[in-house]
Amino acid sequence: MSETRSFVCIGCPIGCPLVLTHEGREVTEVRGNDCDRGAKYARQEFTDPRRSLSTTVAIAGARWPRLPVKVTKQLPKDRIREAATLLHALRVEAPVERGRVLVKDLLGEPGADVVACRGMARRDGG
Amino acid sequence: MSLDRLQQRYDVVVVGGGPAGLAAALGARDAGAERVLMLDREPEAGGILLQCIHSGFGLHHLKAELTGPEYAEHFIERVVDRDVDLVTRSYVSAIGLDSDGRHRVRVMREDHGISTIDAGAVVLAMGCRERTRGAIRIPGTRPSGVLTAGLAQKFVNLMGLLPGKRIAILGSGDIGLIMARRLTLEGCEVVGVFELMPYSNGLTRNVVQCLEDFGIPLHLSTTVTGIHGRDRVEKITVAPVVDGAPDLSRKRDVPCDTLLLSIGLIPENELSQSLGMAFDMGTAGPRVSSTMMTSLPGVFACGNVLHVHDLVDYVSAEALLTGGFAGEYAQGLRRPQDNIRLVPGQNVAYCVPQTLSPGREQTVYMRCREPMRPCALHVGDLLEKKLPFVVPAETIVLKLKPDLLERFHGEALQIDLRPRDGGQP
Repeated sequence: MSETRSFVCIGCPIGCPLVLTHEGREVTEVRGNDCDRGAKYARQEFTDPRRSLSTTVAIAGARWPRLPVKVTKQLPKDRIREAATLLHALRVEAPVERGRVLVKDLLGEPGADVVACRGMARRDGG
Repeated sequence: MSLDRLQQRYDVVVVGGGPAGLAAALGARDAGAERVLMLDREPEAGGILLQCIHSGFGLHHLKAELTGPEYAEHFIERVVDRDVDLVTRSYVSAIGLDSDGRHRVRVMREDHGISTIDAGAVVLAMGCRERTRGAIRIPGTRPSGVLTAGLAQKFVNLMGLLPGKRIAILGSGDIGLIMARRLTLEGCEVVGVFELMPYSNGLTRNVVQCLEDFGIPLHLSTTVTGIHGRDRVEKITVAPVVDGAPDLSRKRDVPCDTLLLSIGLIPENELSQSLGMAFDMGTAGPRVSSTMMTSLPGVFACGNVLHVHDLVDYVSAEALLTGGFAGEYAQGLRRPQDNIRLVPGQNVAYCVPQTLSPGREQTVYMRCREPMRPCALHVGDLLEKKLPFVVPAETIVLKLKPDLLERFHGEALQIDLRPRDGGQP
Protein backbone atom coordinates (compact mmCIF):
# COMPACT_ATOMS: atom_id res chain seq x y z
CA MET A 1 0.00 0.00 0.00
CA SER A 2 1.32 3.47 -0.94
CA GLU A 3 1.97 6.08 1.74
CA THR A 4 3.33 9.62 1.49
CA ARG A 5 5.74 11.81 3.48
CA SER A 6 6.16 15.59 3.09
CA PHE A 7 9.46 17.51 3.27
CA VAL A 8 10.61 21.05 2.57
CA CYS A 9 13.73 20.91 0.42
CA ILE A 10 16.81 22.56 2.00
CA GLY A 11 18.92 22.42 -1.16
CA CYS A 12 18.48 26.11 -1.94
CA PRO A 13 16.45 29.11 -0.71
CA ILE A 14 13.38 28.33 -2.87
CA GLY A 15 12.38 25.55 -0.44
CA CYS A 16 10.26 23.34 -2.71
CA PRO A 17 7.46 21.47 -0.89
CA LEU A 18 8.26 17.80 -1.60
CA VAL A 19 5.88 14.84 -1.42
CA LEU A 20 7.51 11.42 -1.35
CA THR A 21 5.44 8.30 -2.06
CA HIS A 22 6.67 4.96 -0.75
CA GLU A 23 5.59 1.35 -0.36
CA GLY A 24 7.22 0.14 2.83
CA ARG A 25 10.90 1.15 2.59
CA GLU A 26 10.79 1.51 -1.21
CA VAL A 27 10.47 5.03 -2.66
CA THR A 28 8.13 5.02 -5.65
CA GLU A 29 7.85 8.73 -6.47
CA VAL A 30 9.00 12.23 -5.45
CA ARG A 31 6.88 15.22 -6.51
CA GLY A 32 7.05 18.97 -6.00
CA ASN A 33 10.77 19.35 -6.75
CA ASP A 34 11.87 22.00 -9.25
CA CYS A 35 15.25 20.31 -9.75
CA ASP A 36 17.08 17.01 -9.16
CA ARG A 37 18.48 18.10 -5.83
CA GLY A 38 14.96 18.01 -4.38
CA ALA A 39 14.41 14.38 -5.37
CA LYS A 40 17.81 13.40 -3.97
CA TYR A 41 17.18 15.27 -0.73
CA ALA A 42 13.75 13.64 -0.23
CA ARG A 43 15.19 10.15 -0.78
CA GLN A 44 18.06 10.81 1.65
CA GLU A 45 15.68 12.33 4.21
CA PHE A 46 13.38 9.30 3.94
CA THR A 47 16.03 6.59 4.12
CA ASP A 48 18.78 8.08 6.33
CA PRO A 49 18.37 11.74 7.38
CA ARG A 50 21.74 13.29 8.34
CA ARG A 51 22.97 16.69 9.54
CA SER A 52 26.28 18.48 9.99
CA LEU A 53 27.37 19.45 13.49
CA SER A 54 29.61 22.30 14.58
CA THR A 55 29.92 23.39 18.19
CA THR A 56 32.54 24.60 20.68
CA VAL A 57 34.62 22.83 23.31
CA ALA A 58 36.37 24.13 26.43
CA ILE A 59 39.98 25.22 25.93
CA ALA A 60 42.44 26.25 28.66
CA GLY A 61 45.35 28.68 28.27
CA ALA A 62 44.03 30.48 25.16
CA ARG A 63 42.67 33.97 24.43
CA TRP A 64 39.09 32.69 24.58
CA PRO A 65 37.70 29.89 26.79
CA ARG A 66 35.94 28.17 23.83
CA LEU A 67 37.40 26.54 20.74
CA PRO A 68 35.15 26.12 17.67
CA VAL A 69 35.06 22.56 16.31
CA LYS A 70 33.24 20.66 13.59
CA VAL A 71 32.49 17.03 12.82
CA THR A 72 33.96 16.02 9.47
CA LYS A 73 31.04 13.81 8.43
CA GLN A 74 27.28 14.24 8.68
CA LEU A 75 25.71 12.40 11.60
CA PRO A 76 22.29 10.75 11.84
CA LYS A 77 19.78 13.54 12.49
CA ASP A 78 18.32 11.93 15.62
CA ARG A 79 21.78 11.67 17.24
CA ILE A 80 22.86 15.33 16.83
CA ARG A 81 21.83 16.30 20.37
CA GLU A 82 23.58 13.24 21.80
CA ALA A 83 26.77 14.14 19.90
CA ALA A 84 26.70 17.77 21.07
CA THR A 85 26.16 16.68 24.66
CA LEU A 86 29.13 14.28 24.46
CA LEU A 87 31.34 17.18 23.39
CA HIS A 88 30.30 19.27 26.42
CA ALA A 89 32.70 17.13 28.47
CA LEU A 90 35.70 17.58 26.15
CA ARG A 91 38.58 19.76 27.44
CA VAL A 92 41.62 20.74 25.39
CA GLU A 93 44.78 22.66 26.20
CA ALA A 94 46.24 25.51 24.11
CA PRO A 95 48.08 25.73 21.78
CA VAL A 96 45.89 24.13 19.11
CA GLU A 97 46.30 24.43 15.36
CA ARG A 98 43.45 24.42 12.84
CA GLY A 99 42.52 20.95 11.62
CA ARG A 100 43.82 19.07 14.67
CA VAL A 101 41.71 15.95 15.31
CA LEU A 102 40.41 16.08 18.88
CA VAL A 103 38.14 13.01 18.79
CA LYS A 104 38.11 10.21 16.22
CA ASP A 105 34.96 8.45 15.01
CA LEU A 106 32.41 10.30 17.14
CA LEU A 107 29.42 8.09 18.09
CA GLY A 108 31.35 5.19 16.54
CA GLU A 109 30.77 6.62 13.02
CA PRO A 110 33.85 5.93 10.92
CA GLY A 111 35.26 9.22 9.57
CA ALA A 112 33.19 11.42 11.89
CA ASP A 113 36.17 13.17 13.48
CA VAL A 114 35.97 16.26 15.68
CA VAL A 115 38.49 18.82 14.41
CA ALA A 116 39.52 22.32 15.52
CA CYS A 117 38.20 25.06 13.20
CA ARG A 118 40.94 27.56 14.09
CA GLY A 119 44.29 27.83 15.71
CA MET A 120 44.60 29.21 19.25
CA ALA A 121 47.96 30.23 20.65
CA ARG A 122 49.10 29.62 24.21
CA ARG A 123 48.60 32.70 26.38
CA ASP A 124 49.81 32.24 29.91
CA GLY A 125 47.98 34.23 32.49
CA GLY A 126 45.83 35.83 29.80
CA MET B 1 53.02 40.86 8.58
CA SER B 2 54.15 42.99 11.37
CA LEU B 3 51.78 42.85 14.28
CA ASP B 4 51.13 46.12 16.07
CA ARG B 5 53.85 47.95 14.17
CA LEU B 6 52.38 51.27 13.12
CA GLN B 7 54.34 53.26 10.57
CA GLN B 8 53.91 56.91 9.62
CA ARG B 9 52.98 56.53 5.98
CA TYR B 10 50.93 53.95 4.06
CA ASP B 11 49.59 53.55 0.54
CA VAL B 12 46.27 52.14 1.77
CA VAL B 13 44.77 52.13 5.26
CA VAL B 14 41.88 49.69 5.80
CA VAL B 15 39.55 50.47 8.70
CA GLY B 16 38.23 47.15 10.04
CA GLY B 17 39.71 43.64 10.03
CA GLY B 18 36.60 41.56 9.35
CA PRO B 19 35.92 39.76 6.08
CA ALA B 20 35.64 43.03 4.14
CA GLY B 21 38.85 44.52 5.56
CA LEU B 22 40.81 41.30 5.06
CA ALA B 23 39.85 40.98 1.39
CA ALA B 24 40.32 44.72 0.78
CA ALA B 25 43.86 44.53 2.17
CA LEU B 26 44.60 41.61 -0.18
CA GLY B 27 43.04 43.46 -3.11
CA ALA B 28 45.20 46.51 -2.43
CA ARG B 29 48.37 44.37 -2.32
CA ASP B 30 47.34 42.56 -5.52
CA ALA B 31 46.93 45.96 -7.22
CA GLY B 32 50.53 46.80 -6.36
CA ALA B 33 50.15 48.91 -3.20
CA GLU B 34 53.34 48.26 -1.25
CA ARG B 35 52.43 49.44 2.21
CA VAL B 36 49.00 48.40 3.48
CA LEU B 37 47.74 48.82 7.05
CA MET B 38 44.69 47.08 8.50
CA LEU B 39 43.25 48.39 11.78
CA ASP B 40 40.78 46.58 14.03
CA ARG B 41 39.32 47.43 17.42
CA GLU B 42 39.15 43.79 18.58
CA PRO B 43 42.18 41.88 19.92
CA GLU B 44 42.39 39.83 16.70
CA ALA B 45 41.32 40.09 13.07
CA GLY B 46 38.43 38.07 11.64
CA GLY B 47 35.45 40.13 12.72
CA ILE B 48 32.11 38.48 13.34
CA LEU B 49 33.23 35.34 11.45
CA LEU B 50 35.06 34.22 14.59
CA GLN B 51 31.79 33.73 16.44
CA CYS B 52 29.87 32.25 13.47
CA ILE B 53 30.96 28.67 14.20
CA HIS B 54 28.34 27.10 11.92
CA SER B 55 29.13 25.85 8.46
CA GLY B 56 28.07 27.30 5.11
CA PHE B 57 30.70 29.95 4.35
CA GLY B 58 32.82 29.99 1.22
CA LEU B 59 30.58 27.98 -1.13
CA HIS B 60 30.77 30.67 -3.82
CA HIS B 61 34.13 32.36 -3.23
CA LEU B 62 36.31 29.45 -2.09
CA LYS B 63 34.28 26.53 -3.51
CA ALA B 64 34.35 24.82 -0.12
CA GLU B 65 31.90 24.71 2.77
CA LEU B 66 33.69 26.20 5.76
CA THR B 67 32.81 27.38 9.25
CA GLY B 68 33.23 31.09 10.04
CA PRO B 69 36.53 30.68 11.93
CA GLU B 70 37.98 28.58 9.08
CA TYR B 71 36.94 31.17 6.50
CA ALA B 72 38.50 33.95 8.60
CA GLU B 73 41.75 32.07 9.14
CA HIS B 74 42.06 31.36 5.42
CA PHE B 75 42.08 35.12 4.76
CA ILE B 76 44.18 36.05 7.82
CA GLU B 77 46.93 33.66 6.68
CA ARG B 78 46.98 35.23 3.23
CA VAL B 79 47.08 38.76 4.66
CA VAL B 80 50.00 37.70 6.87
CA ASP B 81 51.80 36.21 3.87
CA ARG B 82 51.40 39.46 1.94
CA ASP B 83 53.11 41.60 4.60
CA VAL B 84 50.11 43.68 5.53
CA ASP B 85 50.61 45.52 8.82
CA LEU B 86 47.83 44.51 11.22
CA VAL B 87 47.22 46.65 14.28
CA THR B 88 44.51 45.42 16.67
CA ARG B 89 42.85 47.09 19.66
CA SER B 90 42.92 50.32 17.69
CA TYR B 91 40.18 52.81 16.83
CA VAL B 92 40.01 55.33 14.02
CA SER B 93 38.54 58.53 15.41
CA ALA B 94 38.91 60.85 12.42
CA ILE B 95 40.03 61.01 8.80
CA GLY B 96 41.03 64.27 7.15
CA LEU B 97 41.87 65.11 3.57
CA ASP B 98 45.01 67.20 3.24
CA SER B 99 45.68 69.83 0.58
CA ASP B 100 48.25 67.48 -1.00
CA GLY B 101 45.43 64.98 -1.71
CA ARG B 102 46.62 62.53 0.94
CA HIS B 103 44.64 61.44 3.96
CA ARG B 104 45.43 61.84 7.63
CA VAL B 105 44.02 58.98 9.69
CA ARG B 106 43.85 59.47 13.45
CA VAL B 107 44.33 56.20 15.32
CA MET B 108 43.73 55.69 19.04
CA ARG B 109 45.34 52.80 20.90
CA GLU B 110 44.96 51.97 24.55
CA ASP B 111 48.68 51.44 25.17
CA HIS B 112 50.09 53.99 22.73
CA GLY B 113 47.75 56.97 22.75
CA ILE B 114 46.93 58.86 19.57
CA SER B 115 48.88 58.62 16.30
CA THR B 116 48.30 60.29 12.96
CA ILE B 117 48.93 58.17 9.87
CA ASP B 118 49.46 59.47 6.34
CA ALA B 119 47.51 57.42 3.75
CA GLY B 120 47.18 57.59 -0.03
CA ALA B 121 43.76 55.95 0.11
CA VAL B 122 41.41 54.74 2.85
CA VAL B 123 39.01 51.76 2.74
CA LEU B 124 36.06 51.87 5.15
CA ALA B 125 35.23 48.30 6.22
CA MET B 126 33.67 48.72 9.66
CA GLY B 127 30.80 46.29 9.10
CA CYS B 128 27.40 46.61 10.73
CA ARG B 129 25.78 46.23 14.10
CA GLU B 130 22.49 44.84 15.33
CA ARG B 131 19.30 46.74 15.92
CA THR B 132 18.37 46.73 19.60
CA ARG B 133 15.20 46.89 21.68
CA GLY B 134 15.25 50.69 21.45
CA ALA B 135 14.95 50.55 17.66
CA ILE B 136 11.52 48.89 17.83
CA ARG B 137 10.40 50.23 21.21
CA ILE B 138 9.08 47.10 22.90
CA PRO B 139 7.01 48.27 25.90
CA GLY B 140 7.55 46.93 29.41
CA THR B 141 10.12 46.84 32.18
CA ARG B 142 13.87 46.95 31.65
CA PRO B 143 15.16 43.76 33.26
CA SER B 144 18.39 41.93 32.43
CA GLY B 145 18.01 39.11 29.91
CA VAL B 146 17.10 41.16 26.82
CA LEU B 147 19.96 41.06 24.31
CA THR B 148 20.69 40.84 20.61
CA ALA B 149 21.18 37.42 19.03
CA GLY B 150 24.71 38.28 17.87
CA LEU B 151 25.78 39.31 21.35
CA ALA B 152 24.39 36.03 22.69
CA GLN B 153 26.41 34.30 19.95
CA LYS B 154 29.58 35.98 21.20
CA PHE B 155 28.80 35.00 24.80
CA VAL B 156 28.18 31.36 23.89
CA ASN B 157 30.75 30.72 21.17
CA LEU B 158 33.71 32.80 22.30
CA MET B 159 33.27 33.47 26.00
CA GLY B 160 31.59 30.23 27.08
CA LEU B 161 28.67 31.96 28.82
CA LEU B 162 24.98 31.03 28.43
CA PRO B 163 22.58 34.00 28.33
CA GLY B 164 19.77 32.13 30.13
CA LYS B 165 17.84 28.86 30.37
CA ARG B 166 14.42 29.49 28.78
CA ILE B 167 14.88 31.54 25.65
CA ALA B 168 12.39 33.35 23.41
CA ILE B 169 13.60 34.82 20.12
CA LEU B 170 12.07 37.77 18.28
CA GLY B 171 12.88 37.81 14.57
CA SER B 172 13.46 34.86 12.26
CA GLY B 173 16.49 36.15 10.37
CA ASP B 174 19.33 33.69 9.99
CA ILE B 175 21.15 34.82 13.15
CA GLY B 176 18.00 34.21 15.23
CA LEU B 177 17.44 30.77 13.67
CA ILE B 178 21.07 29.73 14.11
CA MET B 179 21.07 30.84 17.74
CA ALA B 180 17.88 28.83 18.36
CA ARG B 181 19.75 25.68 17.33
CA ARG B 182 22.96 26.68 19.06
CA LEU B 183 21.31 27.32 22.43
CA THR B 184 19.31 24.09 22.14
CA LEU B 185 22.52 22.12 21.58
CA GLU B 186 24.04 23.85 24.62
CA GLY B 187 21.16 22.63 26.77
CA CYS B 188 18.84 25.66 26.84
CA GLU B 189 15.12 25.44 26.12
CA VAL B 190 14.06 27.68 23.21
CA VAL B 191 10.36 28.29 23.78
CA GLY B 192 9.65 29.84 20.39
CA VAL B 193 10.70 32.14 17.56
CA PHE B 194 8.33 35.04 16.86
CA GLU B 195 8.27 36.77 13.49
CA LEU B 196 6.39 39.97 12.65
CA MET B 197 6.17 39.16 8.92
CA PRO B 198 4.00 36.38 7.43
CA TYR B 199 7.20 34.68 6.18
CA SER B 200 10.59 33.88 7.72
CA ASN B 201 13.38 36.28 6.91
CA GLY B 202 15.90 33.45 7.11
CA LEU B 203 16.88 30.84 4.56
CA THR B 204 14.48 27.89 4.31
CA ARG B 205 17.31 25.50 5.07
CA ASN B 206 17.83 27.27 8.38
CA VAL B 207 14.12 27.06 9.26
CA VAL B 208 14.28 23.31 8.64
CA GLN B 209 17.69 22.55 10.19
CA CYS B 210 17.54 24.96 13.12
CA LEU B 211 13.87 24.90 14.16
CA GLU B 212 11.97 21.94 12.71
CA ASP B 213 14.75 19.44 13.49
CA PHE B 214 14.52 20.41 17.16
CA GLY B 215 10.77 20.94 17.40
CA ILE B 216 11.11 24.69 18.06
CA PRO B 217 7.88 26.50 17.12
CA LEU B 218 7.99 29.39 14.62
CA HIS B 219 5.12 31.84 15.12
CA LEU B 220 4.69 33.93 11.95
CA SER B 221 2.73 37.23 11.93
CA THR B 222 3.38 37.47 15.67
CA THR B 223 5.34 40.03 17.65
CA VAL B 224 6.41 40.78 21.21
CA THR B 225 4.25 43.47 22.79
CA GLY B 226 5.58 43.43 26.34
CA ILE B 227 8.56 42.47 28.50
CA HIS B 228 7.92 41.66 32.17
CA GLY B 229 10.16 41.14 35.20
CA ARG B 230 11.89 43.36 37.72
CA ASP B 231 15.53 42.26 37.82
CA ARG B 232 15.36 39.48 35.27
CA VAL B 233 12.96 38.72 32.42
CA GLU B 234 10.09 36.58 33.80
CA LYS B 235 7.79 36.48 30.79
CA ILE B 236 6.97 38.25 27.54
CA THR B 237 3.62 39.09 25.97
CA VAL B 238 3.08 38.20 22.32
CA ALA B 239 0.21 39.07 19.99
CA PRO B 240 -0.77 38.20 16.42
CA VAL B 241 -0.15 40.91 13.83
CA VAL B 242 -3.09 41.92 11.65
CA ASP B 243 -2.62 44.53 8.92
CA GLY B 244 0.70 45.58 10.37
CA ALA B 245 -0.49 46.16 13.95
CA PRO B 246 -0.61 43.76 16.92
CA ASP B 247 -4.12 42.52 17.83
CA LEU B 248 -3.94 42.99 21.62
CA SER B 249 -7.33 41.32 22.15
CA ARG B 250 -5.57 38.03 21.33
CA LYS B 251 -2.35 38.59 23.28
CA ARG B 252 -0.87 35.86 25.48
CA ASP B 253 2.02 35.50 27.91
CA VAL B 254 5.06 33.31 27.30
CA PRO B 255 7.20 32.48 30.37
CA CYS B 256 10.95 32.80 29.68
CA ASP B 257 14.08 34.27 31.29
CA THR B 258 15.73 35.60 28.14
CA LEU B 259 14.60 37.43 25.01
CA LEU B 260 16.98 37.42 22.04
CA LEU B 261 16.45 40.06 19.36
CA SER B 262 17.26 39.23 15.75
CA ILE B 263 15.59 42.22 14.17
CA GLY B 264 17.99 43.49 11.58
CA LEU B 265 21.41 44.98 11.02
CA ILE B 266 22.51 48.59 10.47
CA PRO B 267 25.72 49.60 8.66
CA GLU B 268 28.09 51.09 11.25
CA ASN B 269 28.75 54.49 9.74
CA GLU B 270 29.44 56.96 12.55
CA LEU B 271 32.97 57.50 11.20
CA SER B 272 31.75 57.80 7.59
CA GLN B 273 29.04 60.28 8.58
CA SER B 274 31.56 62.43 10.44
CA LEU B 275 33.47 62.80 7.16
CA GLY B 276 30.48 64.36 5.43
CA MET B 277 30.16 61.94 2.52
CA ALA B 278 26.95 61.35 0.52
CA PHE B 279 24.65 58.58 1.79
CA ASP B 280 22.01 56.33 0.23
CA MET B 281 18.71 56.18 2.13
CA GLY B 282 18.05 52.69 0.76
CA THR B 283 21.22 51.07 2.09
CA ALA B 284 21.94 53.37 5.07
CA GLY B 285 25.52 53.31 3.76
CA PRO B 286 27.71 55.63 1.70
CA ARG B 287 26.95 56.11 -2.00
CA VAL B 288 29.75 54.62 -4.08
CA SER B 289 30.88 54.82 -7.68
CA SER B 290 31.66 51.86 -9.92
CA THR B 291 35.15 51.87 -8.34
CA MET B 292 33.58 51.65 -4.87
CA MET B 293 34.75 55.17 -4.06
CA THR B 294 32.55 57.31 -1.83
CA SER B 295 31.80 60.93 -2.67
CA LEU B 296 35.11 61.80 -0.96
CA PRO B 297 38.10 61.33 -3.28
CA GLY B 298 40.34 58.47 -2.16
CA VAL B 299 37.91 57.13 0.46
CA PHE B 300 36.43 53.76 -0.51
CA ALA B 301 33.86 51.51 1.21
CA CYS B 302 32.97 47.82 1.06
CA GLY B 303 31.22 45.06 2.98
CA ASN B 304 28.43 45.58 5.47
CA VAL B 305 29.33 49.22 6.07
CA LEU B 306 28.08 49.78 2.53
CA HIS B 307 24.96 47.60 2.58
CA VAL B 308 24.08 44.53 4.64
CA HIS B 309 25.10 41.39 2.74
CA ASP B 310 23.57 37.98 3.30
CA LEU B 311 26.61 35.97 2.20
CA VAL B 312 30.20 36.59 3.29
CA ASP B 313 31.28 35.33 -0.13
CA TYR B 314 29.77 38.44 -1.70
CA VAL B 315 31.57 40.61 0.87
CA SER B 316 34.92 39.05 -0.02
CA ALA B 317 34.38 39.45 -3.77
CA GLU B 318 33.24 43.06 -3.40
CA ALA B 319 36.07 43.94 -0.99
CA LEU B 320 38.80 42.39 -3.17
CA LEU B 321 37.68 44.70 -6.00
CA THR B 322 37.42 47.68 -3.64
CA GLY B 323 40.90 47.11 -2.25
CA GLY B 324 42.17 46.89 -5.82
CA PHE B 325 40.65 50.25 -6.75
CA ALA B 326 42.04 51.81 -3.53
CA GLY B 327 45.48 50.39 -4.34
CA GLU B 328 45.35 51.87 -7.84
CA TYR B 329 44.23 55.22 -6.48
CA ALA B 330 47.09 55.29 -3.98
CA GLN B 331 49.50 54.80 -6.88
CA GLY B 332 48.07 57.78 -8.72
CA LEU B 333 45.66 56.12 -11.16
CA ARG B 334 42.52 58.22 -11.69
CA ARG B 335 39.55 56.75 -13.59
CA PRO B 336 36.98 58.89 -15.38
CA GLN B 337 33.90 59.83 -13.38
CA ASP B 338 30.83 57.60 -13.85
CA ASN B 339 28.17 58.94 -16.20
CA ILE B 340 25.26 56.58 -15.51
CA ARG B 341 23.15 56.76 -12.37
CA LEU B 342 21.23 53.63 -11.30
CA VAL B 343 17.65 54.26 -10.17
CA PRO B 344 15.92 51.59 -8.03
CA GLY B 345 12.45 51.18 -9.60
CA GLN B 346 9.56 48.76 -9.03
CA ASN B 347 10.17 46.37 -6.09
CA VAL B 348 13.88 47.32 -5.89
CA ALA B 349 15.00 48.61 -2.48
CA TYR B 350 18.51 49.58 -3.56
CA CYS B 351 21.37 49.02 -6.02
CA VAL B 352 25.10 49.07 -5.16
CA PRO B 353 27.14 50.68 -6.62
CA GLN B 354 24.90 53.66 -7.25
CA THR B 355 26.63 54.78 -10.47
CA LEU B 356 28.31 52.99 -13.39
CA SER B 357 30.61 53.59 -16.33
CA PRO B 358 30.45 51.76 -19.65
CA GLY B 359 33.31 49.66 -20.95
CA ARG B 360 34.01 47.55 -17.86
CA GLU B 361 32.40 44.43 -16.44
CA GLN B 362 30.26 45.47 -13.48
CA THR B 363 28.66 43.56 -10.64
CA VAL B 364 25.55 45.22 -9.20
CA TYR B 365 24.15 44.00 -5.88
CA MET B 366 20.49 44.71 -5.19
CA ARG B 367 17.67 43.76 -2.87
CA CYS B 368 13.93 43.50 -3.48
CA ARG B 369 11.24 44.99 -1.27
CA GLU B 370 8.67 42.14 -1.47
CA PRO B 371 8.85 38.42 -2.35
CA MET B 372 7.91 37.79 -6.00
CA ARG B 373 7.88 34.58 -8.06
CA PRO B 374 8.41 34.14 -10.91
CA CYS B 375 9.67 37.52 -12.01
CA ALA B 376 12.00 39.33 -14.37
CA LEU B 377 14.69 41.91 -13.74
CA HIS B 378 14.57 44.78 -16.23
CA VAL B 379 17.67 46.96 -16.71
CA GLY B 380 16.10 49.88 -18.57
CA ASP B 381 15.42 48.56 -22.08
CA LEU B 382 18.88 47.00 -22.25
CA LEU B 383 18.36 43.69 -20.55
CA GLU B 384 15.64 41.42 -19.20
CA LYS B 385 16.70 38.61 -16.90
CA LYS B 386 14.19 35.97 -15.81
CA LEU B 387 14.42 34.94 -12.16
CA PRO B 388 12.56 32.00 -10.56
CA PHE B 389 11.98 34.01 -7.37
CA VAL B 390 13.19 36.93 -5.29
CA VAL B 391 12.92 37.40 -1.51
CA PRO B 392 14.10 40.35 0.59
CA ALA B 393 16.50 38.08 2.52
CA GLU B 394 18.44 37.21 -0.67
CA THR B 395 20.73 39.60 -2.50
CA ILE B 396 20.24 39.71 -6.25
CA VAL B 397 23.59 39.71 -8.04
CA LEU B 398 23.59 41.15 -11.56
CA LYS B 399 26.66 40.90 -13.74
CA LEU B 400 26.75 43.40 -16.61
CA LYS B 401 28.94 42.73 -19.64
CA PRO B 402 31.38 45.49 -20.67
CA ASP B 403 29.56 46.34 -23.92
CA LEU B 404 26.01 46.44 -22.47
CA LEU B 405 26.19 50.00 -21.18
CA GLU B 406 27.71 51.25 -24.48
CA ARG B 407 24.19 50.93 -25.90
CA PHE B 408 22.74 53.26 -23.27
CA HIS B 409 22.49 56.95 -24.11
CA GLY B 410 20.89 58.45 -21.02
CA GLU B 411 21.91 59.64 -17.61
CA ALA B 412 19.55 57.62 -15.34
CA LEU B 413 19.11 53.87 -15.78
CA GLN B 414 16.10 52.39 -13.99
CA ILE B 415 16.06 48.84 -12.63
CA ASP B 416 12.70 47.12 -12.06
CA LEU B 417 11.51 43.73 -10.84
CA ARG B 418 8.22 42.85 -12.53
CA PRO B 419 6.09 39.73 -12.13
CA ARG B 420 6.03 37.30 -15.03
CA ASP B 421 2.93 35.40 -16.18
CA GLY B 422 1.52 33.34 -13.32
CA GLY B 423 3.53 35.34 -10.81
CA GLN B 424 2.14 36.56 -7.54
CA PRO B 425 2.93 40.13 -6.56
